[in-house]
Amino acid sequence: MKVSKRAFLTKLMLGLSVVALPLTVAGAGGVSSAGAASKTTISVAYAVNTTFDTTPLAVKWWGGIQKEFDAKYPQYSLKLVPISGGEPDFLTKLALLYHSSSTAPDVAQFPSTEIALYQSTGYLLNISPYLTGSSWFSQYPSVIANEGKIGGKIYAVSSGENNNGIYYDKAVLQKAGIALPWNPTTWADIITAAKAIKKAEPKVTPLWIDAGTSAGPNGAGYGALNLLAGSSTPTIQTASGKMVVSSPGLLQTFNFLHEVYSDGLGAPTSELFSPNNAPNIPSALYPKGTLGITIGANFLGGNWAKLVNFPYWSAASTAMGITGLPTSNGKSFASTLSGWDYGVSATTKSPKADMDLINVMQESTNLINADNWAGWVPPVKSDWTIPVYTNFAPPFNEEFGKLLVYSTELPSSSAYNTWVQGFEQATGTLAQTPSTTGAEAMASMKSYVTNQLGSSAVTTLP
Amino acid sequence: MVSAVASDTVTGPSVPELWKTRHDKERLQWGSFALLTPAFGLLAILFLIPMGFAVYLGLTNLTLVGPTAVKWGFTGLQNLTRLRSDTSFWQSLWVTGFFIGGSIVGVVVVGYGLASLLMRANSWMRVVVGGIVVIAWMMPAVTAGMTWYASTTQGGAFSVLTGLANTNFLDNWPVETVTIASVWSMTGFSMLVMGAALRNIPSEAIEAAIVENASSWQRFRLIVLPLLRPTMIAVVLLTALLTLANFSLIYIMTQGGPNGATNILPLYSYQQAFSYNNLAYGALIGNVMVLIATVFGVLYVRIASQRS
Repeated sequence: MKVSKRAFLTKLMLGLSVVALPLTVAGAGGVSSAGAASKTTISVAYAVNTTFDTTPLAVKWWGGIQKEFDAKYPQYSLKLVPISGGEPDFLTKLALLYHSSSTAPDVAQFPSTEIALYQSTGYLLNISPYLTGSSWFSQYPSVIANEGKIGGKIYAVSSGENNNGIYYDKAVLQKAGIALPWNPTTWADIITAAKAIKKAEPKVTPLWIDAGTSAGPNGAGYGALNLLAGSSTPTIQTASGKMVVSSPGLLQTFNFLHEVYSDGLGAPTSELFSPNNAPNIPSALYPKGTLGITIGANFLGGNWAKLVNFPYWSAASTAMGITGLPTSNGKSFASTLSGWDYGVSATTKSPKADMDLINVMQESTNLINADNWAGWVPPVKSDWTIPVYTNFAPPFNEEFGKLLVYSTELPSSSAYNTWVQGFEQATGTLAQTPSTTGAEAMASMKSYVTNQLGSSAVTTLP
Repeated sequence: MVSAVASDTVTGPSVPELWKTRHDKERLQWGSFALLTPAFGLLAILFLIPMGFAVYLGLTNLTLVGPTAVKWGFTGLQNLTRLRSDTSFWQSLWVTGFFIGGSIVGVVVVGYGLASLLMRANSWMRVVVGGIVVIAWMMPAVTAGMTWYASTTQGGAFSVLTGLANTNFLDNWPVETVTIASVWSMTGFSMLVMGAALRNIPSEAIEAAIVENASSWQRFRLIVLPLLRPTMIAVVLLTALLTLANFSLIYIMTQGGPNGATNILPLYSYQQAFSYNNLAYGALIGNVMVLIATVFGVLYVRIASQRS
C-alpha cells in the first residue's frame, strides 16, 4: 500500500504530538518540582514497627505530622524516613544512617538509653538554646527533663515514657482469698499472694515477670530490673562508669526470682522466652482469666483500648487492679524509667526548622495522640490528668502517671547493653532451671559481664 | 664420537627436542596473565579487598556508636588477646561444632536412607515423599524457623504427638532441637545428590555380589559405600559450609538463647557487632568463621578436582 507524502507527514506530526504531550506535561512538572526544590527539606527518622502499638497507628500519626508541618511552614518540606523492623534492627539502621552526614536524618526519634551513646559519638546537637521559653519543655518533671541532659546541655527531649507497676486480676485474687483492693507493701506480700493463687487456682499462672533474653535489652526494664530498682542497692552503673556485677540488690532480685520459679509461681518458659513480643503476652492472658499478678509496663493497660485492640477488652477497667511495686524495704514504690526521645543531628543545616518540627510534634494534641497510641506516659506533667489521656485506657493511664515520680532512669551506655544481656541471661537461667540459686545466678552474670567488658570496667558493691 | 653425537643433537632435526617437551603438564605462558587480568581484577574488588579490609577491621576498635565509631584506629593484637580469653567465644565455637557435626551426620544418614528407600519405592510414592522433602529444602529459612519454633514449643506439634503437653522441647533441648531443624531443612539436598549417585552404581556389581552370597551389609560396605564415598564427602563438606552460614534458622527460633545454648558463631558475631556495638570484635569473629569455611572450602575443591 502506497502512502502519500502528505498523509505520512500528518501521521508523523500526530505521532510526535502524542509522544510530546506527556513530555511537555512532565516538563511542566519538572518546573514545579524545581520550584519545590527551593524549599528547605528536613528529614525525620523513626521506628515504624516498634514505637507505636500498631504499625497503622504509626503511619497515621507520622502522616498527620507531615501534613501539619508542611501546611504550617510552607517554606519547609518534611521528608519522612520510616525505619522498619524490631527495635534492635531499628537501632542498627539508625546508627548506620548517622555514619554519613549525607544520610544522617535532621531529626530522629530513639530510645532514651541511646542518648549518651549518640551524644558521645558527636551525632547530636545541643538544643538547649532552642528550648528557652518552650511552653511544653518547661512542664517536664526534672526526671524526664534530665533524660537528655549531658554535661548541663540538652541533646534530646522526651516524647513519652514507659514505667512499670503491678497489674492484678481482681476475680483471681478474690478466689484466692485476697482482700481487695490489694496493696502489697513488701516483696514477701507478692510471693504470699502468688502462692495463694497457685493453691486456689492451679490452672492460673500466679505471677508474670519478664525473664530471659528474648525481648532484647528492654525486656529486663519491663521485668526484673524493676525489682533491682526497688532493692537496697539499685545502682547499675557507678558515677565512674563501672558496671555493678555483684551487689546486695542484685542478690535480693535474683533470690526473689529463685523463689518465684522454684515454687512454680512463674509463667512457663515457652511464654517468657517467646521471641514474639513477650512483654505484651500478659495483655492476651488476662481476658482469658489465666493470669493473676504481673509486674509489667504501663503499655499493657493501653493494649486493651479499642483503638489498639491487642486485644480489645472492654471489661479491663473494672476487672483489673493496679498498684505500685513496693521497694524491698516497703517504704516506697519502685520502677525503671525509659522513654523515646527526639534529637537533632549535629550536622543539620537547618536547626531552626528541626526545632519547628519538634514543636509541632510536641503540640498537645499530637503529643497525647502519640502517648496514647504508643503506650507512653506523657512527659508533660499536666497531661497526666486530662481526660483525653486518662479516658483512653482508664484507670491505667492515670495511675501510671501518678507512679512515674517513683521511677529511676535506666543508664545509657554501650556497657549497659552488655550488662543487661548478662542480667537477662541470669533471669533466664532462674526461670528455666529453678534449682539455680540467686547467688549462682549472680555469679554467672558476674562471669559473663566481666568476660565481655573486662575486669577494669566492672565493680562489686558491698 | 661423543662430540659427533652431541653435534648431531644440537644441529640435527628438532624431533628429539619435541620429545623432551612434556605435554601432559601445564606450562606457564606469560601471555595468559593478560587474559586473566579482568578475572583477577574482579576477584580483587569483590573478594580480596573486602576480605583484607575485614581482617584489618578485626584489629581495630571500631564501634557502631560511641566515640570510636568516628575516631577509630588500629589496636594491634588487642582483640585477638580478648578472643583468646573470651569464654563466650569458646562456648560459641563448641556450639557451632555441635551444630555443624550434628547437621552433617543427620543430613548424610537421613538423606542416604531416604534416597535408598525411594530407589525401591513405586513411582507415586517417590514423587510424593521426594516432593515433600524437596519442598522442605526449598522452604525459606524464615518459614522453616517459624514452623519449627511453633512445633517445638509448649503446646506445639511435638508436645501433642509425644503426649508431653507441658514439655517445651525448644527450651529443654535447644541445641539438639535446632540441629534437627537444620537436618530437616537440608535433607532434600542430600537426598537428591545421594539418589543420583545411587542410580549410577552399576547393577552388575550388586548382582554379582548377590550371586556370591554377599549379605546386604557386605554389599553396602564393600560396594555401595566405596562407590558413594566421593559423593558423601561432597555432601559432608557442602553441608558443613551451608550450616556454618545458617544464621536465619537459629536467629528466628532462639536468637542464640537460652543463655547462649544455641549461640553459634554467626549469631555471636552479630550480637557483638550490633547488640554490643563492637563492630571490630564482631568482624574478628567473622574472620574466624571465614578461616573455618576456608578449610572446608579447600577440602571441597581438592576432592572435587581429584574426582574430575
